[in-house]
Amino acid sequence: MEKNRFSIIEFVIFAAVTFAVLCLCICIGSVRIPPTDTMSVIWDGMRYQVDLSAAKPEGLQASIILSVRLPRVLCVAMTGAALALAGGAMQGLLKNPLADGSTLGVSSGAALGAVIAIAFGIRFPGLPFAGTMVMAILFAFLSLVLILTLAYRLDYSLATNTIILIGVIFSMFVSSLMNIIVTFAADRIQHITFWTMGSLQGASYQNALVLLGALVICGGVILRHAQELNAFAIGEDNARHIGVDVRRVKLVILITVSGLIGVCVSIGGSIGFVGLVTPHIVRMLVGPNHRRLLPASLFGGAVFLMLADLAARTLLNPIELPIGVVTSLVGAVVFVVIFYRSRRHS
Amino acid sequence: MLQVNNLTVQYGDLTIVDHLSFTAEEGQWLMIVGPNGAGKSTTLNAITQGTAYTGQVLFEGEDMKKKKAAERARCVGVLMQNHFAEYAFSVEEVAALGRYAYSGSRRIADRDTAPERKTTAVHLPRPAFLAGRSDEDERAVENALALTGMTSQRKQSILTLSGGELQRTFLAQVFAQDPKLLLLDEPTNHLDLVYQKQVFELIEKWLQTPGRAVISVVHDLSLAKAYGTKVLLMNHGRKVACGPAAEVLVPKHLDPVYQMDVSGWMRQMLGQWDG
Amino acid sequence: MKNRKFLTAGIAVMLSCALAACGGQAGTQQTMAATEAVTETATPSMETTTEEVSVAAAEETTAETTEAKTEVSGPITITDMLGREITLEQPAARVVALTPSDCEILFTIGAGDTLVGRGEYCDYPAEVLDIPTVQSGAETNIEEILALEPQLLIMSTMSQTEEQAAQLEAAGVQVVISDAQDIAGVYTAIEMIGKLMGRDESAAEVIDNMKTTFAEIEEKSAGDGSKTIYFEVSPLEYGLYTAGAHTFMDEVANMLGVKNCFADVEGWSAISEEQVLERNPDYIMTITMYYGEGPTPEEEILGRAGWENVTAVKNKAILNLVNNELSRPAPRLADGAKMLYDFVYGEE
Repeated sequence: MEKNRFSIIEFVIFAAVTFAVLCLCICIGSVRIPPTDTMSVIWDGMRYQVDLSAAKPEGLQASIILSVRLPRVLCVAMTGAALALAGGAMQGLLKNPLADGSTLGVSSGAALGAVIAIAFGIRFPGLPFAGTMVMAILFAFLSLVLILTLAYRLDYSLATNTIILIGVIFSMFVSSLMNIIVTFAADRIQHITFWTMGSLQGASYQNALVLLGALVICGGVILRHAQELNAFAIGEDNARHIGVDVRRVKLVILITVSGLIGVCVSIGGSIGFVGLVTPHIVRMLVGPNHRRLLPASLFGGAVFLMLADLAARTLLNPIELPIGVVTSLVGAVVFVVIFYRSRRHS
Repeated sequence: MLQVNNLTVQYGDLTIVDHLSFTAEEGQWLMIVGPNGAGKSTTLNAITQGTAYTGQVLFEGEDMKKKKAAERARCVGVLMQNHFAEYAFSVEEVAALGRYAYSGSRRIADRDTAPERKTTAVHLPRPAFLAGRSDEDERAVENALALTGMTSQRKQSILTLSGGELQRTFLAQVFAQDPKLLLLDEPTNHLDLVYQKQVFELIEKWLQTPGRAVISVVHDLSLAKAYGTKVLLMNHGRKVACGPAAEVLVPKHLDPVYQMDVSGWMRQMLGQWDG
Repeated sequence: MKNRKFLTAGIAVMLSCALAACGGQAGTQQTMAATEAVTETATPSMETTTEEVSVAAAEETTAETTEAKTEVSGPITITDMLGREITLEQPAARVVALTPSDCEILFTIGAGDTLVGRGEYCDYPAEVLDIPTVQSGAETNIEEILALEPQLLIMSTMSQTEEQAAQLEAAGVQVVISDAQDIAGVYTAIEMIGKLMGRDESAAEVIDNMKTTFAEIEEKSAGDGSKTIYFEVSPLEYGLYTAGAHTFMDEVANMLGVKNCFADVEGWSAISEEQVLERNPDYIMTITMYYGEGPTPEEEILGRAGWENVTAVKNKAILNLVNNELSRPAPRLADGAKMLYDFVYGEE
């Protein structure tokens, strides 16, 4: 069997697992609601959407399921998918298994952009969150360009160590900038935890739609470049030699990755390590070929973040953990494992 | 086939390649030799547009600068001296990437010619990441793997290959790419003798098909003499001599460049084998 | 190879530092700093209720009367709220206060004129804004404080550490620590600061006033704990936070006979949105700041998807307290309690 593409069967398996986890996350929450009730509420809700004459589901259970849990789980799933896809794309582009929005400081950069937008009141009339989002995307892109330029200057081969070191230093630098802004605009930015640890509480269907849009546009572009990412993952020079338009592909990937991370950060704050952990685990399952890795990462990221959010929501009930705490906990361990393993190779 | 006119490459104040001109014709194996820092690898880099330069690089009369990346790759293929593998791609996956330059045209041609589609009852349009390879690609990859003797290891991860196997894998890639001109940058530098011989014999065989040419940078002058049909001797970015091996690899040219009695030393070393 | 190992270790250490910084601090300290900062640049509310004005007026008169009285002479010895004994030769005349609540106490007992420096988050009463600021919390700058030549520095355990106190004392500044965890603690703090400033009597008066207000409220309150209130200290957009047990808000709610619906949670804590819906509070009090654009905090809560069945939302029973009346261990807790009383039982 040809193994260089995602077979329909694999597609179905991954989708089924994702759907199962989605159902699990909708059924379990801080408030206990029997699964049968959950299903009937969702069924009624969907019927109401299709046929307005049907009874609108009301009451506490309907509110919790339809207004709180469902939009949140959907946003979590798509954020996870987007971050994992962005991480997978960066790991391929840079030929570096440790690359991720959080390790490279791209998420921090995006958060800085969002914080600046809020502090200086940058917004577009009629579009409530657009200012924050555009600034987050822009800063994500600028951070990426800055980090890569610095890394290329220092070490053309983009050795794993160099770029991650620069990323970590950049993250620290950005955090301190953020702290300065927070000190000066404390009345507007009261919630630094949100920008450093993330939260998808209060996520709405509107947020879910925005995430879906970003996933379809940016994710679609990234998936179309799977073969080019394969070439980069083998080596940038090699990619050029086999006919990849290196500059164009790099720019396209950097823009789409910034788009995904920027949108995710402006909606859910910076949630670290999803893009690091997911492609790593998925690679062990389906191999390094991006034609398989990227679609599998989409599902894997959704599953990983949904489970992390489930833990954040329910472990200390009624207290909630910041979702970033859960992902960082898992992520740090995986980071160290990859780091030691990859250093042992060379 | 390839015509290089007044090629000059500068990094800041440093001139790496200085007004270099030469040609490579069909059927030729051009060996570029010279001491370290002579600008040999940079010349190859300029041909593949990997570095900025002034002057002209013409492929079959057309400016390489004006060609699109994929078009360039269909003309010129490269085999580098080192490969650092990070991910566990299979030998076959690496080789198949050689077909990348043809994927643009394939997408169009593929639509009604792919035979296995006709057997499926429902004609499902597949997104790019689900698309397979065309028959022609399949054949090219098979041939390349067979030619380099990597067929039996096609499923093996490149992380587990030896240096020679890895080099043969990338050779399979560039064979699958099917360029008209093959550039080799010290292709056997890190390989032991068995692999050196293998690689050079493979390339010699590849060159026998009409319409092909090879340019390679080598350190080993005896390799240049043995396989080269034409030799370009460089020093300080400039051409010292260019022509048949027998005319270029002579003490008159070599000794000033290497500042030693090259042929004397070679003879001395070879003499030890005879004795 | 060695080099590489070194780099590896370096990166590992840096990463864990970065993680620790994110996890540990961001969770607690930064939110505290951030919430404390809530009112930093806010001008004290323009639309003060008549109630507030009368209280403020009353305070002013008490301040004037006490100023006329002779000050206590001779050395003063007190035990601060960490149990450390402190002796002053005479009442302090140059004071730096790092915590907003201690600034408020100083002004309320009529010793505001002794303040030569304040922490940057001190913002009440309005006069305090004219006093030079010093950095507080984790950024406390000892040199900056020494330059003001204070005879006394008042800080609290809420945002300062004991190590900072030790450092300042080593540098020759007399440090007093306030540590009010409940209303009784606030009385202790006022009494202690009163003594240090030689204003025992006005301090006692302030305490009496507070006690009277609280007693009145408690007596008038008819609640039997069947009604519930939800205190929101961070809005939904950034993840809900509430004030649970052992907070001033909780204590005042009990006084009013209203049950804090998150009394099972300790202190300020992130909580689940679902739980708020299930616990269905009768009242909601939010301390979210409004900075003049988009929906007000009340409107935002009323418009939340899924909250339409919450009793407080149905009845529009939402109070927005923006001046930290119920979040600081200061005399204004009585004002806050009065405002909450009016909100729950209606103004008289």
